[in-house]
Amino acid sequence: MRKIILKRLIVSFPLLLGMTFITFLFIQIAPGDFLDTLKLNPQVSPQVINFYKEKFHLDKPVVIQYFSWLKSILKLDWGYSFTYKAPVIKVITLHAFNTLILSLSTIVFSWLFVFPLGIICVRYKERFIDKTITFFSYIFISFPTFLLAIFLLYLATFIDFLPLGGMRSLNFDELSKIGKIFDILKHLIIPTLVLSLGSIAYLVRILRANLFEVLSSPFMNALKARGLPKRKILFHALKNSLNPMITIFGYQLSGLLSGAALTEIICSWPGLGQVMLGAVRSQDLYLVMASVFIGGLLLILGNLVADILLAWVDPRIRYERF
Amino acid sequence: MKAFITILFFLPLFLYSQPFKEPFAEYKLKCGKYGGRLIIPTTSDPKSFNPILAKETSTTQITSLLFEGLTRINPQTQKVEPNLAQSWQTEDNLVWIFHLRKGVRWSDGKEFTSDDVVFTFNDLIYNPDIPTSSRDIFTIEGKKIKVEKIDKYTVKFILPSPFAPFLRALTQEILPKHKYYSKVINKEFSFSMGLDSNPQDIVGCGPYRLKKYIPGERVILERNSFYWKKDTCGRRLPYLEEIVFAILPNQDTILLKFLDRELDYMPLRVEDLAILGKREKDDFTIYNAGVSWGSTFIVLNQNNQVNPYTKKYFVPLYKQKWFGNKKFRQAISFAIDRKKIIDIVFSKLGKPQYSPLSSANKLYYNSQVKEYPYNPKKAKKILESLGFKDRDNDGILEDSGGHKLEINFFTNADNKERVSIAVLIKKDLEKIGIKINFLPLDFNNLVTKLTSTFEWEMILIGLTGGIEPYFGKNVWSYKGTLHMWNPTGKPQHTWEEEIEDIFNQAAKILDEKKRKELFFRWQEIVSENLPMIYLVSPYTLYAVRDKFGNLYPTTLGGPFSEIEYIYIKK
Repeated sequence: MRKIILKRLIVSFPLLLGMTFITFLFIQIAPGDFLDTLKLNPQVSPQVINFYKEKFHLDKPVVIQYFSWLKSILKLDWGYSFTYKAPVIKVITLHAFNTLILSLSTIVFSWLFVFPLGIICVRYKERFIDKTITFFSYIFISFPTFLLAIFLLYLATFIDFLPLGGMRSLNFDELSKIGKIFDILKHLIIPTLVLSLGSIAYLVRILRANLFEVLSSPFMNALKARGLPKRKILFHALKNSLNPMITIFGYQLSGLLSGAALTEIICSWPGLGQVMLGAVRSQDLYLVMASVFIGGLLLILGNLVADILLAWVDPRIRYERF
Repeated sequence: MKAFITILFFLPLFLYSQPFKEPFAEYKLKCGKYGGRLIIPTTSDPKSFNPILAKETSTTQITSLLFEGLTRINPQTQKVEPNLAQSWQTEDNLVWIFHLRKGVRWSDGKEFTSDDVVFTFNDLIYNPDIPTSSRDIFTIEGKKIKVEKIDKYTVKFILPSPFAPFLRALTQEILPKHKYYSKVINKEFSFSMGLDSNPQDIVGCGPYRLKKYIPGERVILERNSFYWKKDTCGRRLPYLEEIVFAILPNQDTILLKFLDRELDYMPLRVEDLAILGKREKDDFTIYNAGVSWGSTFIVLNQNNQVNPYTKKYFVPLYKQKWFGNKKFRQAISFAIDRKKIIDIVFSKLGKPQYSPLSSANKLYYNSQVKEYPYNPKKAKKILESLGFKDRDNDGILEDSGGHKLEINFFTNADNKERVSIAVLIKKDLEKIGIKINFLPLDFNNLVTKLTSTFEWEMILIGLTGGIEPYFGKNVWSYKGTLHMWNPTGKPQHTWEEEIEDIFNQAAKILDEKKRKELFFRWQEIVSENLPMIYLVSPYTLYAVRDKFGNLYPTTLGGPFSEIEYIYIKK
């Protein structure tokens, strides 16, 4: 097992390298640079533009820029954000925690519902409740998240208890410790719902299909023939249909810091999404690079976690040689 | 219903009777009450709290409340007034003596003196290690201004040559020496006053000081109890205890929150009028502060040079002949239905613009410039007189050389308004037989074409504007980098040289009457020759809750201009 993990980590280095290089190249090939907004300001002279160009090293060839970025990233120096006039790491840490809270709450919330709903579907196959769940699954899969967000916010205007976006109330500082936690939980409701409804719907569809497939396989008949109680049979079926779910879970981990951008913007959740979107749009080079790097790292780690979990759940994978 | 009536009542009134025409007729600041909180939405986080480094609006709307300059601009009269400097004198327009206001304190209680002024100029603005665009404004013909301390309350500025916009430029924020001198010595200033600063480390002379910043959520400012300004009753300003900037990136969320009374103000988009107008129980008023300062225009590429990479002309020779002809540009201006643009894109809330200056400019706007009311027949006639004719009956005109009158037209795709305006213009021009290939582009791509590759024919774009036309020199001087229609650095027309001359004179002549004449002449030249064809200026609308006193919205100062006087009526 340790060998596999080590192997995976080693393979991920060239992957990260390639990914960051391509991103770097694309940002630089894209027309214009961060200074374009300044260039269109009548009060800014070419001297100032050139000064910035030199200061940000935008005047050097792309490859040299890339390697100097790589060198500094190895020293854990993430570079300087042009927009925020501050080190990139500071900009990210200011917002990353909030996004993490939202993503984690979404993951917890959605996985909490997936298994009960999936099992209900199987228990009451083709009956009213199964059809209702299926019906809503299709609706939430096809409903765009941004629309859902606006719709839920609109509903919240009628419910005094639900805040209209944001993360903390204005009087947050005056609240007690428990009050503070409660306040944040209250603000979490809408964005969590927006993010998890779609993912629950999607996961339930997959779980349902898988469960049916496993239940109709020959070894299920063998279990039934042995006279195992229904509950136990279902447990075995569940265990056998876990594999694709775990892979999806791995992907979800990769979106921990970037998966919620749109919802964050509409629900004014103070996360990384808005910062990163702004960075891409204004070509704030090193901020974009940091976000791609973190995203890539999380994708690799997420896949690794999924693989480990798979090996843990499924002995077939564990004993296979890599 | 009441809201609807309010709008019906206010719109025609504010649109056509111009309530801010004579500010002092009704403009009077009353003595108010202390306390209360004002909650304002903003669409993005500030980028820093450093007024020297960061200059974009999300930052300056906050730093402008934290810091002040030697002079200020009165948002009603748009004239320069004393601020941290109580008075000044000059004999030759070169040596200026400024007498500072005594007893002014920084938000940490220390006294404001001439040392701070000298520090701000010599150690910050003229410091080559600090990236600031302020240095540009205070560099006159390539030379610095000498700033010297005379005594604790007197500062001397020695200019290398007369510079008319000097007093206006002195709205530059002053920073305290005692707080930031060590940062400059350690070369840390370029990284200081960032978003992670301790609120106590942001020290200014403004009416407010930073209380707390929660990234992505809000910036909270609290009353600066040391603020120097007093109301007419002799009490210390400001009245409001707290100002909260709520960071709400989505405009629809802002609308929902405003309707839910969580916000005291919102900037209005045209599409919000339909919703806000229908509210029955309302406690807000929609103000029309007049036309905005920026301008939107189309510009035709008159570049007559050869692209050094492709060895071809940037603009084909026959097209250079069209675009370089003033009559041709006038025909295009006549062919554009500005009223339709106002009706469709801005829901009738705007005015046609013909001068390079916005009519919001009370000091220099020339209302007598040449106008181009919609007249497609006249446009067609002009084109005919230039030899354009539909020779093959396909509905598109050809010039005498048989070239089809076909123009590539760009604008930036992320700006919805510009795209809709461009579509209307395309239709208008096609009506008189010009084929338009319209392509919305990414903003950066557009700027690259405009300022470095020069591969374009017609562009719709906008620029921000201000009171002092001289600050647009980069656009109007043929040596400027934003001289879009002719970026060659050499004049093609005699009027380009005249404009150059006007701008050079306007920098040196301090007599207001003469300056006005100069800028009036400049506007006439531009409207006659149309290097840029100006389109429309939309009105700026603000929705504000009715609880505030001393509320006199202006486009210059925003909905809460002179915010230190704003109070909550009980």
